[in-house]
Amino acid sequence: MLRHLFRLIWNKKRAHTLLIVEIWASFMVLFGLATLIVVNVSKYREPLGFTYANVWAVQLHNNQDTTDVGSKLQRILQRVRTYPAVESASSMGDNFPFSAYQNGSSITHKKHDVQADYYTTDDNFANTLGIAVPTGRWYRSADSVGKYRPVVINEQTRKELFAAENPLGKIISDQYKVVGVIDNFKAKGEFMANRPALFELAKANNTWTNTMLVRVKPGTDAAFEATMVKAIASQLPGWGFEVDYLTDSRKNQHNLVLVPIIIASVVCGFLLINVALGLFGVLNLSITRRRSEIGLRRAIGATGSGVSTQFVGETWVLATFAMLIGLLLAVQFPLLNVFDLQAGVYLTAMGIAALIIYLIVTLCALFPSRQAALIQPATALHEE
Amino acid sequence: MIKLTNIEKVYRTSSIETLALNTINLHVAAGEFLSIMGPSGCGKSTLMNLMGLLDTPSNGTVEIAGRVVTQYRDKELAQLRNQQIGFIFQSFHLINDLSVLDNVEIPLLYRKGDPAGASRRVLAKEALEKVGLSNRMSHFPGQLSGGQKQRVAIARAIVGNPAIVLADEPTGNLDSVMGNEIMNILQQLNTDGSTIVMVTHDEAMARKTHRLVRLFDGSMVGDSVLRNERVVE
Repeated sequence: MLRHLFRLIWNKKRAHTLLIVEIWASFMVLFGLATLIVVNVSKYREPLGFTYANVWAVQLHNNQDTTDVGSKLQRILQRVRTYPAVESASSMGDNFPFSAYQNGSSITHKKHDVQADYYTTDDNFANTLGIAVPTGRWYRSADSVGKYRPVVINEQTRKELFAAENPLGKIISDQYKVVGVIDNFKAKGEFMANRPALFELAKANNTWTNTMLVRVKPGTDAAFEATMVKAIASQLPGWGFEVDYLTDSRKNQHNLVLVPIIIASVVCGFLLINVALGLFGVLNLSITRRRSEIGLRRAIGATGSGVSTQFVGETWVLATFAMLIGLLLAVQFPLLNVFDLQAGVYLTAMGIAALIIYLIVTLCALFPSRQAALIQPATALHEE
Repeated sequence: MIKLTNIEKVYRTSSIETLALNTINLHVAAGEFLSIMGPSGCGKSTLMNLMGLLDTPSNGTVEIAGRVVTQYRDKELAQLRNQQIGFIFQSFHLINDLSVLDNVEIPLLYRKGDPAGASRRVLAKEALEKVGLSNRMSHFPGQLSGGQKQRVAIARAIVGNPAIVLADEPTGNLDSVMGNEIMNILQQLNTDGSTIVMVTHDEAMARKTHRLVRLFDGSMVGDSVLRNERVVE
């Protein structure tokens, strides 16, 4: 019966061209959207690599004050650490977790280059963000006296730069010495890819590590924030301050990813509704036009449910034709390694898109096919 | 082979009740070639529908090959139609998007234990050879003349080797030459063992059958034996 349906639809391919194009376009759009969702879901499932609850990012802007900026920053950091409400505090550059800033550069080991995100932090960074260091250790201030500057890399850097080699003690770009390896570090949030990262110990009196990450005790409220800012302001007249809660910054980063996906989903939803309505209309019309065929099939042995199944089957065949064309295009993405995504992502997206298309065409075909099943053969056969 | 007992068929709407068939008692023996005649609206097609299990009587019983089918469900009726009955219609009812061979194959698709594709092809080709259309297998209905279309319809009716062939005005849309050709094929089928019931308006065609039943206003008004050559029972 399946071959019969394929032959029937194949012979009517011209009449179904528009419908096939519609289903094909829907499949491609769904494939794109599903790829986007699958990529982000798989990223989301990878651990962030640090904790952000109760962590504030205090950005200090020296504005016109250019005198002894590094020392002033150090003093403020020491002062903040003395508050009983503060569990830990650390300084780093503008590219703190969930911020809009990014700093990256190429790093080299044995003539092998890797593009990595750079973070310049102090020795208390891992402690403040609750970062575990499974291999080696986090750098200390005392490490800065050596010939090479101490760095910590993440697992992704280790994989890409050292492969099976032990990275501890190895020299990167002729100036950094690896002292530790952490697992993940996804600074832009859960939807960020786990990219190679390198953490470098900030030099003493550095003027641009002007962001303080402050981990406060749970339950610390805005009153403490006001007290802290007031104290900083009194010590740094003319400076500007900005306090971000990392939980809020994380939401903002998530929105940057989720809003386009939601918009794309809504547009895709409308497209699918249009396709579904079109398909529904075409099937209804087809049943009206094919009443005599339905009558004939009933006369020669089809049951009511058999006729109904046939119409659903025809829509599946139609969808299969359209999706075969779509799959030919979609399969080029993993073959040509477009967007540098894993083949599994594309294959999953193809599967999801195909499943949704089959679901939609089935829903569209159900009512018309039930109508077809109700057609009385005796009446239908004498209408022509 | 077909036995109708006290058959009545009433069509009802909210305001009108129409008696289409009134107390019909008819026994068609195996191997018989019976024709039904009567003016338009006298109930010929209704009677064919009841014999073809396409409709159910308001009263009375229908027996096919010794089985009372009045209480049969849709699935059982469909199976019985598929196995025991072949249909030929005045307007052929071929599917224009399928080739001649594919059209002939259709009844076998609905057969319980659906024969494999290759054997379906063989049976369909044999049926087309019987009606002299083996050279038109890959043509589409739109490329055939009326007579050829009706021969395809006959091949489709006989491909499953049914015991009964019901022909509803099979020559109605054909000229006399084509009509005679079709009639010859039906006579040959009857000679080969099929029981044939044919509705016709053409007295000359009816005269070529074994028995003629006349209907008028839903009642049987005549039942005459014309020839008695091939009745098995």
